[in-house]
This record gives sequence, C-alpha cells and structure tokens, in this order.
Amino acid sequence: MKPSDSLRAIRPIQRHLTTPSYRLIPARPAQAQAPLFASATTPVSPIRFSSTASSQPKESSKSTVDPTEVSHFNALASSWWDPVGPSRLLHLMNPLRHTFISRCRAASSSVSSNSNLRYLDIGCGGGIFAESAARLAHTASVTAIDPTPEVLKIAEAHKRRDPTLAAPGKLTYINTSIEDLPQPKTPQEGYDIVSLFEVLEHVNAPGPFLEHIMPHVKPGGWLVLSTISRTWTSWLVTNVMAEDVLGIVPKGTHDWAKYVNESELRDWFYGKPGWGELKTMGVMYVPGFGWKEVTGSEGWGNYFFAVRRAE
Amino acid sequence: MPPRIPCRAHRAACPTPAVRYGIRLQRRLASTSASAPDIYDVVCVGGGPAGLSLLAGLKASPITNGLKVALIEGQDLQKNRLPKDASLDSFSNRCSSLTPASMRNLQEIGAWRHANAARIQPYQEMQVWDGVSDARISFDWDTARSLGPRTPTQPTTIAYMIENVNTVSALLGRLEELGGVDIFASTKVDAIELGTDTEQLDLSSWPVLSLSNGKSLAARLLVGADGANSPVRTFAGIPSRGFDYSRHGVVATLNLSSPGWGGPDHKIAYQRFLPSGPIAMLPMPGNFATLVWSTTPERAAKLKSLSPADFTAMVNAGFRLSPTDLEYLHTLPSGQAEEIAWREKHTPTNERGLPVRVTDVQGGSVASFPLRMRHADTYTGERVALVGDAAHTIHPLAGQGLNQGQGDAAALVRTISHAVQSGQDIGSTLALESYNEARYAENNAMLGVCDKLHRLYSVESGPVVGLRSLGLRAVNAMGPLKGFFMSRAAGGV
Repeated sequence: MKPSDSLRAIRPIQRHLTTPSYRLIPARPAQAQAPLFASATTPVSPIRFSSTASSQPKESSKSTVDPTEVSHFNALASSWWDPVGPSRLLHLMNPLRHTFISRCRAASSSVSSNSNLRYLDIGCGGGIFAESAARLAHTASVTAIDPTPEVLKIAEAHKRRDPTLAAPGKLTYINTSIEDLPQPKTPQEGYDIVSLFEVLEHVNAPGPFLEHIMPHVKPGGWLVLSTISRTWTSWLVTNVMAEDVLGIVPKGTHDWAKYVNESELRDWFYGKPGWGELKTMGVMYVPGFGWKEVTGSEGWGNYFFAVRRAE
Repeated sequence: MPPRIPCRAHRAACPTPAVRYGIRLQRRLASTSASAPDIYDVVCVGGGPAGLSLLAGLKASPITNGLKVALIEGQDLQKNRLPKDASLDSFSNRCSSLTPASMRNLQEIGAWRHANAARIQPYQEMQVWDGVSDARISFDWDTARSLGPRTPTQPTTIAYMIENVNTVSALLGRLEELGGVDIFASTKVDAIELGTDTEQLDLSSWPVLSLSNGKSLAARLLVGADGANSPVRTFAGIPSRGFDYSRHGVVATLNLSSPGWGGPDHKIAYQRFLPSGPIAMLPMPGNFATLVWSTTPERAAKLKSLSPADFTAMVNAGFRLSPTDLEYLHTLPSGQAEEIAWREKHTPTNERGLPVRVTDVQGGSVASFPLRMRHADTYTGERVALVGDAAHTIHPLAGQGLNQGQGDAAALVRTISHAVQSGQDIGSTLALESYNEARYAENNAMLGVCDKLHRLYSVESGPVVGLRSLGLRAVNAMGPLKGFFMSRAAGGV
C-alpha cells in the first residue's frame, strides 16, 4: 500500500517524518487495534477496523485483532521455519534481540535476579524468538501468545522437535490476543521480560495496545520491542523494494502507514509514571553481512526499544 | 591420522553400507526402537585431534560447558596415550607441524600444558629448494622482515613439531580434567538413522546412533570427526570430491649425527621438491628428525623393503643426489648404501645448506600411506557438521592437515557458542551457517595452493622449471613478501 492510499499517512504524527529509512524485514502477526496512539487523538477513519470481516482468529468483544493481518500470516505459516524461506530475515535478526535484552538487563540500575526469568512473547508467530528465549540458561519459562491459529500450529509442531522445549512448563503457546490474556493478580506475578518483536507496525492503535501490555510487566522488568520508523525511505525499501521489486519479503506484509517512530514511543513513555530507563538500538540489514547495529538509525530505520517498569 | 570408525552392517535388513547410509529418509521401524534414545546436544564421532579439540573447546568455555556431549571412538583411547615416562630416545613416526595459531588455540582451551613439552620441537628456519634447478628459498623471521621495524614481540618460531600421539594425549588429559563428556571408547557406530516422531517428541530430524554396546544416542548436533571415509558424512549425504595423487607418503623417525647446523636452539626444517614429490625432514628433539617423503607407490614400496642401512643412505641421497641418480637407485634390489657412497663423492654439495646426515632409522618406524585430495561439498547439513579429515584431505607438503582440523574445531566451537548465547538450536542449518562460511573458503584455498605446488614441482624439464626457479629466487630476495608467506603459513593474518 502506498502511503498516499491511506488517510493515516497524513495524520498528526506525520510531523515526525524524518530522514531515509531502511526496512527489509518480514513481519509477525498483528495484534490489537483501536484508536491510534492515545495521544494522537485527531479523528482518523478507522480503516482497518472491521471486526466482522473474519471469524477465524479468536476475538473477544474488546479484541481489536486485525483480520486482514491474521489471514496474511495464516498463509505464510508453513514456511515460517524454512531457513531460506520468507522468514529468513527474521531468523537472522533473532540473535540481535537477545543482544539488546542482555544490554538492557546489564544496564539495570538495580540488582535483579539473573536466573529463572519469565518471558511473555506477544505476537510470537512460529516461535522464532520464543523458542530461542526458552533455550537460554537463565530462562525459567516462556509464555508465547498469538491470535493467528495457523502459525501457532506451526509453532507447536516445531516445539516438539526439541526435547529441551518440550519439557513441561518451559514453553507454553496460547492462541489469544493480549486483551484476552488474564492480567496478573499482583504485579509481582508479572513477567521479567515482555517482548513485542516486529508487531507494533501491524497494529492500528499502538497506544491502547501498549496499555494492555504494560500490566503484564513485573516491577523491575522490561518491555522490549522492535519495529520500524515511518519515513519515506522505509516505505520505498520495505513496500516497494523488498515486497514488489526484490520479492524477498512476502507481498502485503507491510502497511507503511502503521509504522511507529522511535520519538513517538519515547514521548509516549515519558508521560507514563513508573516507567523509565528507555533504551534504543538502531539496526540495519546489509545484504551479505546480515543485521548490524547502526548508531542513530533508530531515527529512520529498524530499531529496538525498551522501557523498564520501576521496582 | 584420526582413527577410522568402522561401521559394521547392522541388522539383516540392511546388508550393505551403501544401503545403510545412503537412504537419508529411512525411518527406523517401530520394533527396532523399543527404547527411547538418550538425548545429547553434541555427539562427536571420532577421537582424533580435531574431535578432541572440539570437545575440549566446548567444555572449557563457560558458555558451552552445560551442553550434554558424547564422544564415540572405535579404539581404546587409553592405549593410544603417551606414557608419562616416555623415553626421549624414540619418537612416533606420525608427527605434525603445529602452527602458532593451532598452538594458541590449544593454549586457550587449556590443553597445551597437558602436552609433554620435552617431546615438542619448535623450529625457527625452513629451507626449501628445487631438486631440478637447485633454486632455493629460506624462511626465518630474521630475513623475513616486515615492512616496519621488527619488534621483540614478533615470533621467532615458525611452527612446532609434535607427535600426533602427544597432541591427542594432551587433549585427553584436558578432557579428563574438565570432565562432563560421556566417552564411549572401543565402541563402534553400527548405524546412523533419523529418529522417529512419537506423540511426545518429533525426532525425525535428529540423527540417532546405534552403538555396538547396545546404546542408542540421539544427537541435536552430530559431529563427524571420523576421518576421510567419514560415515557421518555418508549419512548426511554430503558428497566429497577429489582424486588420488598416485603418490604415497613414506614416513620414518630418523637418527641424525647432531642436533643440526643451528644447534639445539635454532632448528631447521628442510624440504626438497623432487619430480616424484617433495622429500621433507622436520626436526624433533635432540638428534632426531621425522621424514615425510612423497613419492610414487612403486618407489614407496621399494623404500619400505630396504635394510636400515640402505634406507638411511637413500634418505641422505634424497637431499643430495640428482633426480636421475635417485631414479636409478630405486631400481637396485639392494646395496644402495655402497652405490650412494660412491656417487656422493662425485656430487659437489654445500653441506651447510643441507640437513645433517642421517645415521640410522628407528626400527619399525618406516611406513607409508596414499596421498589424496578430497573436499566435501559442504561442512554442514541439518544437525550435522564435519571437521578435520572428514571434511577435507590435503596433500601433506605444507603440513597443514592437522592444523586445518584444529582450525575447524575452534571455528565450530565459536559457532556453537554464538548459537547457545542467542538461544538458537545448535543443530539447525541456520545456526551452523557461520561455521561453513568461516572455514570452507579458507580450507579450499589451502587445498588449492598445496595441489598447485604439487603439480608445479612434478615437472622435470622445460620452461616451467626455469619459471618456478625464478619465482622462488625472487620471493627469497624480497623480505616483506617472504614475511607475508611465513605469517600465512604460521596461521597468522
């Protein structure tokens, strides 16, 4: 979809349009929707909102899962674990996610436990990150959720190929949206790491979506995400080059207008009491070399973002 | 040379090895897998220098020492160890020239200090010359000046001569110290097949090994360190291409008249390119040296049949007499010693440029093996990685075979370590990609260079002899260029 096709391309956050960007990554299943960022209150036509379009995914009355996204990822499910398939760029990016999480945890201002960590992976897809997190020595358990039933079937089948992951309680997949996941009874029952990788760009209303997620983070824990900045070059690279011209990312994976800029996230979390220690890391895919950290590129390309809940 | 792991035909249903390993997707019948296999992260087949180095590397690192690993070796590992009080009056005929890079890796994984240091001989100089034209190149760190001023930290050692049994014993000593490896020695691999998909687990991508002791092991990552005829490579369906040189390498342990022209502290390695192949004498401690003489199978057989006196004389002649003289000497049934004594009187030589005279050959140390060039199409498959001779077999003229295996092991440890840190499945093709990338091109280049050198020096006459001699002399005159070659040979950058 071209930016001009969408009314959302001209919404207020357009003021954040910055320098060229770079984006080649195939994406993960989407999650919620609703009004966009809570702060971006300008009326915008709810283009993607059509809760009756499909009955395939689990949808509660309040669920805002986008059926278009769900059917897109259903179609991609079978190739999720093919190392040279459409998800290759995601596989290649996965080690960087752990690098980023380690960096956040190492920089924590207080001493938090370094073992028996509990992860919640939202929009887990075929389980690329969830499996890898479950294999780490310091991990107690991983709960991974996704509203797309077909990819979760793939995830469950792939999990059975590894006895480490098949151990009871190590890795649990749940076919649900974040809104339907029961919230922890007390904050201490939350997760040490809540991850949201390559999901935000598929969400219609990032603000309310994040509000749903935040109660799941344990005090002292981290909310970690990765996504793409919304710039003219990111549209050119991800929608035109990667999907239409080169074909290295499945067509229809990205809706440029949904991309969220790092500065928008930063501003949004500054307004949230009890959240801080913001961290970012800009990354870029260089063909032939893989994913590389590029300082400053969070302003115009793929980036990681983390925020910590106060203890 | 890594021990071969014999793979006997298992069960009547699979009568030939080709059938046993050739059918990749063959599933075990339910009736044959009554008991579930033991699950391992890494199963290494072959306890030679490459396999042991890999295991020691994994266990020495805090990142990977939590992995559950097993070693399967067909021979009795204890029997193959160097006795602590081994006499310095006798040396094994299987020696390698360990590069400083390989030595550093053995230090890093904590194995080097387990080696018997008295039996290791560093050498500081290398003399290489053309047997047809006598064009010569000498390598030592003094003449091989780098472009900048020489610093005291620069090495003086080109490489370390070490018996393979010493390397293996050092690695076994280190593994014993580290612990945590399930070692199945004197145990054969009867079969390797893919696992089954049961209700709880889907092991259909996991190699399952049936051992001669009745055990069955499932491997997240199966490492083939099982030599040139690697059954693991066959299981993975990875073709290995190459050719035989129709040359044999004759090895022997030699007694010399003295420690050498440079004394005990400046040892020299010698290599003379003859049209039938290079003859090399590499220094060992004291008055000992090891011989590697690459030659035709007929001449190798002749050399092996000679009396110790005639064999000794032939080695001395190999570094001194003309290719024509040598050709004639190989046709004599016996009496080479007298014939050579007479001919040497009439052949002017500069003894200072030649190895000191061989006085005797250690009894029972003369042996030979066929020379081959082999390279597997890839080093990795799903849940399979190849190291050492299983991946490549090289012409021994540059002494790189064992070093390549050590380089493979170190690179595979790095790859596994990175995969563990990022939670990857260490057996997945994606996780193993970096190992293949790190090693394939480098090994291929080394295989190619050694092969080309072999071909270049097989030529007896014509313009090639003149050109190669010119090239050798030119390189010899240029210090920095020589320094570049030497640091490459030493495994540096």
